[in-house]
Amino acid sequence: MAASAKRRRGWRKRLGALARFTGALVIVGGLYSVFSPSLYAQEAEDNAIDSEVVKGQELYDTSCISCHGDDGEGIEGRGPSLIGVGSAAVEFQVNTGRMPMAAQGAQAPDNYPQFTEEEAAWIGAYIEYLGGGASVPDDLAALVEHADVGEGGDLYRVNCSSCHGYAGGGGALSSGAEAPALEGVSDEEIYQAMLTGPQNMPVFADNELTPEQKADIIAYVQYVVNDDKDPGGVFTLGRYGPSTEGLAIFLVGMTALLLTTLWIAGKS
Amino acid sequence: MSAHNDSARDEVAPVDLDDPKLTRFEVYKEGLRRDDIEIIHYEPRFPRPGTKAEKRMERIVSGLFLLSGLFATLFVAAFIWWPWEYEGAATWRDPQTWYTPVIGATLGFSLLFFALGVLTWAKKLLPIEELVQDRHDGGSSKDDRRIAESTVDTLVEDMGLRRRPFLVKSALLAAAPLGLAAVAPLGALLKDPGDMYTVTGWNAERYNDGEPIRLMMKDGALVRPDMVSAGGQITVYPAIDHGATNQFPTAPTLLIHLREADAETLRGNLYPMYQDVDAIWGNFVAYSKICTHVGCPASLYEQQSQRLLCPCHQSQFNVVDNAAPVFGPATRHLPMLPITVDDEGYFVATSDFLVPPGPAFWNRPSLPEEDEK
Amino acid sequence: MKRRKGTSDSLLTKAGGELDDRFKLAAPVRILFNKVFPDHWSFLLGEIALFSFILLLLSGTFLALFFEPSMVEVTYNGAYVPLQGIEMSRAYESSLDLSFEVRGGLFMRQMHHWATLLFMASILIHMLRIFFTGAFRAPRETNWMIGIILFWVGFFEGFFGYSLPDDGLSGTGLRIMEGMTASVPFIGPWASAALFRGQFPGTDVISMIYIIHVFIFPLILLALITVHIGLVFAQKHTQWPGPGRTEHNVIGFRMFPNYVMKQVGFMLFIWGVIAAMAGLFQINPIWLFGPYEVSVVSSASQPDFYVMYLDGLIRLFPAWEFRIPPYFTLPAVFWPAIAGMGLSVLLPLVYPALERRFTKDRAHHNLLQRPRDNPGRTSLGVMVVVFWVVGAVSGGNDVFAEKFDISLNAMTWAGRIGIVVLPIIAYYVTYRICLGLQQHDREVLAHGLETGILMRDPNGRFYEVHQPLAEPDEHGHTQIEYNGWVVPKKMNRVGALPPTDRGFFKSIEEPSDNGGAARDEIESGKH
Repeated sequence: MAASAKRRRGWRKRLGALARFTGALVIVGGLYSVFSPSLYAQEAEDNAIDSEVVKGQELYDTSCISCHGDDGEGIEGRGPSLIGVGSAAVEFQVNTGRMPMAAQGAQAPDNYPQFTEEEAAWIGAYIEYLGGGASVPDDLAALVEHADVGEGGDLYRVNCSSCHGYAGGGGALSSGAEAPALEGVSDEEIYQAMLTGPQNMPVFADNELTPEQKADIIAYVQYVVNDDKDPGGVFTLGRYGPSTEGLAIFLVGMTALLLTTLWIAGKS
Repeated sequence: MSAHNDSARDEVAPVDLDDPKLTRFEVYKEGLRRDDIEIIHYEPRFPRPGTKAEKRMERIVSGLFLLSGLFATLFVAAFIWWPWEYEGAATWRDPQTWYTPVIGATLGFSLLFFALGVLTWAKKLLPIEELVQDRHDGGSSKDDRRIAESTVDTLVEDMGLRRRPFLVKSALLAAAPLGLAAVAPLGALLKDPGDMYTVTGWNAERYNDGEPIRLMMKDGALVRPDMVSAGGQITVYPAIDHGATNQFPTAPTLLIHLREADAETLRGNLYPMYQDVDAIWGNFVAYSKICTHVGCPASLYEQQSQRLLCPCHQSQFNVVDNAAPVFGPATRHLPMLPITVDDEGYFVATSDFLVPPGPAFWNRPSLPEEDEK
Repeated sequence: MKRRKGTSDSLLTKAGGELDDRFKLAAPVRILFNKVFPDHWSFLLGEIALFSFILLLLSGTFLALFFEPSMVEVTYNGAYVPLQGIEMSRAYESSLDLSFEVRGGLFMRQMHHWATLLFMASILIHMLRIFFTGAFRAPRETNWMIGIILFWVGFFEGFFGYSLPDDGLSGTGLRIMEGMTASVPFIGPWASAALFRGQFPGTDVISMIYIIHVFIFPLILLALITVHIGLVFAQKHTQWPGPGRTEHNVIGFRMFPNYVMKQVGFMLFIWGVIAAMAGLFQINPIWLFGPYEVSVVSSASQPDFYVMYLDGLIRLFPAWEFRIPPYFTLPAVFWPAIAGMGLSVLLPLVYPALERRFTKDRAHHNLLQRPRDNPGRTSLGVMVVVFWVVGAVSGGNDVFAEKFDISLNAMTWAGRIGIVVLPIIAYYVTYRICLGLQQHDREVLAHGLETGILMRDPNGRFYEVHQPLAEPDEHGHTQIEYNGWVVPKKMNRVGALPPTDRGFFKSIEEPSDNGGAARDEIESGKH
């Protein structure tokens, strides 16, 4: 989908997008004219969709266009095309502060978001208007609530732990890139990341992991990383595994005992 | 206090233990003398017994012991009565979260306070003492050595080891196989490695009556091309009995759907042996997930830089160049599993891996086609 | 009061008499009680290992009551929610059960693991003390070798213990060990097939390493530790050179009550530290790792710290594989893992013999050397330490790379260069420091202590007043030979000034009851 879109010429793309948008408007408008109680409300909704895209475009043209180009076509060597990436990808990148990117580097680090969630949604709407793409299901909360944590753990270990670590602590990738830690991330962010494969992360579209399976994984991550204070002490040593445990035995255990030997016995 | 020479001790005369006027300490010192020990310095820590300072030190030490007892009691009580059973999704507010810290801290403090009590007793209440003991370094005395030599010679003579050489030789001759017999039972552990390194779960002849083996996910779902989107990857296993279990440790494979441009690059780089069997299907390529270094799953797929990274020793493989190693200690590419799509639209492996997957082993054959780049 | 004392005395005498009638104890017990031990903080490092080992035996026995070394497939149905319904081996299930469903089980497991780390860490520190002070020299080479063997048995004992729970991290460790084993020329594949009864991971390896972990290796450790301590006892402990201390005597205090009380106190202290750590610091949370599956791995997969330097070497070693066509391959991992480990065992074992050969020093040494007095050996030791540290850091280079935002590839290259260059730099720097310290010692012996008092001579030149350590000759020089003792470097060390500061954590202002006269530091200055 994305690959073929990239090869299409700009005007055809825009024309196609416009046609799709018009079509969507016609369908939406038609549906509303059937279901909506009043004409006034329908107009308001239309305006709302329209204005979201317009507002999104305004933001895009000031903050994103320098790398991603006119109408999200991408600029060789600066930023990839955003045609077809969908609103989920945009909202993930913008809400985690990865975009707009401060400087070109091995990878865009997460940061303080520069836009509100509402503004991110507008940009997302604009990108979706340009080329469609994936988005987060509305009933994600319900899906996560009924998810199978055990199943999620199984899927997490096969698909995610190799980069993000057993305990979601993140991990290093090649040449300065890294898989971020999963502490404190929201359900939506995890879902968006799986769906869209930001940066070096592989894509886990709905045909690889169904929305239910994604919800399982989200439930597992939230349980293990964020919700559960599992037993075994006050300090978890960052859960970086044996390397911090090795540091701890020297810095805490060995140091305490060496001081004790100095107290117990003579010094020279 | 001044330097001691070794002869000083010899001047101390032995005491007559039958002398009724001997004090206890003099008898004790006679013991030290017999053990070649001399007192250099010996004085009570508190010259006048019962001073305020001494009483204070006694109070400190007994206080430490009592604290230790208190914490030990707390430990036992917490061990028994503190709620401890994990009930899932616990927070800091749940008492069971604190079970391990509480019993650890109480037991730890109890031990530490007792230790401090004993140590303070030793350091602050025992007499200040410095003694010197003869080391008697070196071997035994000349006489002892000579007697020992003669004893051994007599034993050897008694057994006639020198006079009866044939006896000794035959005993040694028998001892060798007897020693072998002792370790022979360990041979029960031996097992012919056979082709365990070269045949994987993808071998259709052995595991699927010659029918091409389909690719499945861990939950058993068969894999179709539309199940992996571009820039995505999934771990696949041979669709045979227990195909996704540890029974087939070299079978796990990474199925990657490359983007068009990347697939193009790969097609340009493809090794002749993979070209010959048409190993990739469309933009899909399947690489063994088992690292060729020492066998961890090399499964950190970076879809932007098109690298596969192994988290154990950081070998990096270039996905668009036959997964050839580009960094780290791995020396060989991750073998490609030749795949195609069968009539029903499912992925199948057209054959086993062309080269043995996983870490190298001593008798791994050198395959000339591996070196073709 | 008097009567009671009399009774207890006679009771004790009576019991002693009964025992002595049977076992003839009077003389041996007296000799034992009177035995003199030298006192120095660095002589207590081996004890940390000994007492950790005792705790390992105790906590390990507890764990063995609940652990089942079986690789039978079961479906988990225990208390830990995220693993419910997951297929796993019985070994992993029982490890989870003893963590979640046995009262105090998790605490015991954490205590066992922390005690292991402390055991191995203290062996290393103890070994460094022995090395740098030359305590391994004749007549103690045998005990040095036993110590090295103890380290390596402990190394594998620890690795096997890490492997037993059959969680994701255990299996990854075994997987790497299998790759290493298979690389050994000629016997590799057969050795691997014997260990795993066929192809890795098989279904037998856990029960096999279980019997090694709980029976064979502890027995070897126990036997070797007994001999190790027995030899220290029989050969009598080394001592630092100092007033009155010669090669032929031991100066210190008696075994009873002083030495034993300090030992008992220290043992309880060590256990207290381990118990507190086990309660407060989570270690090896196996429930997060899931069961071992060959296709599953985690970022930051590391062995315990004592294996980490070996893992680091494996990471750093270049991709050099030798092929002997058409049948044989010598994999890259062979060099760091098998050859590297072999050298790590062999070189320390033969070091005393090598040093003997090169220095031609065949005498017995019961007095320790200050590290500065043997710069060659000290620098060699520091070189090895730096090599080890670079290796160990590289063993965790992915964690470093991630947490400090360094490129992983840069970390690897830094390690590759560092492990060659840094030890050489360390050798040179240490050598210079040793020589500098030696020179300063001699300066103080010849010219006296620096007093910090500046004077101005009639010509207007400033000079510092030195306090000679003995009566100076007409040039103001003292002729004191350096004899390996600590040379006082501060005025308060020679009793010319009262100690500026006493007390360990807090200054003690008032003089103690017995006055300052008996203090060691003042004594040592007078000789």
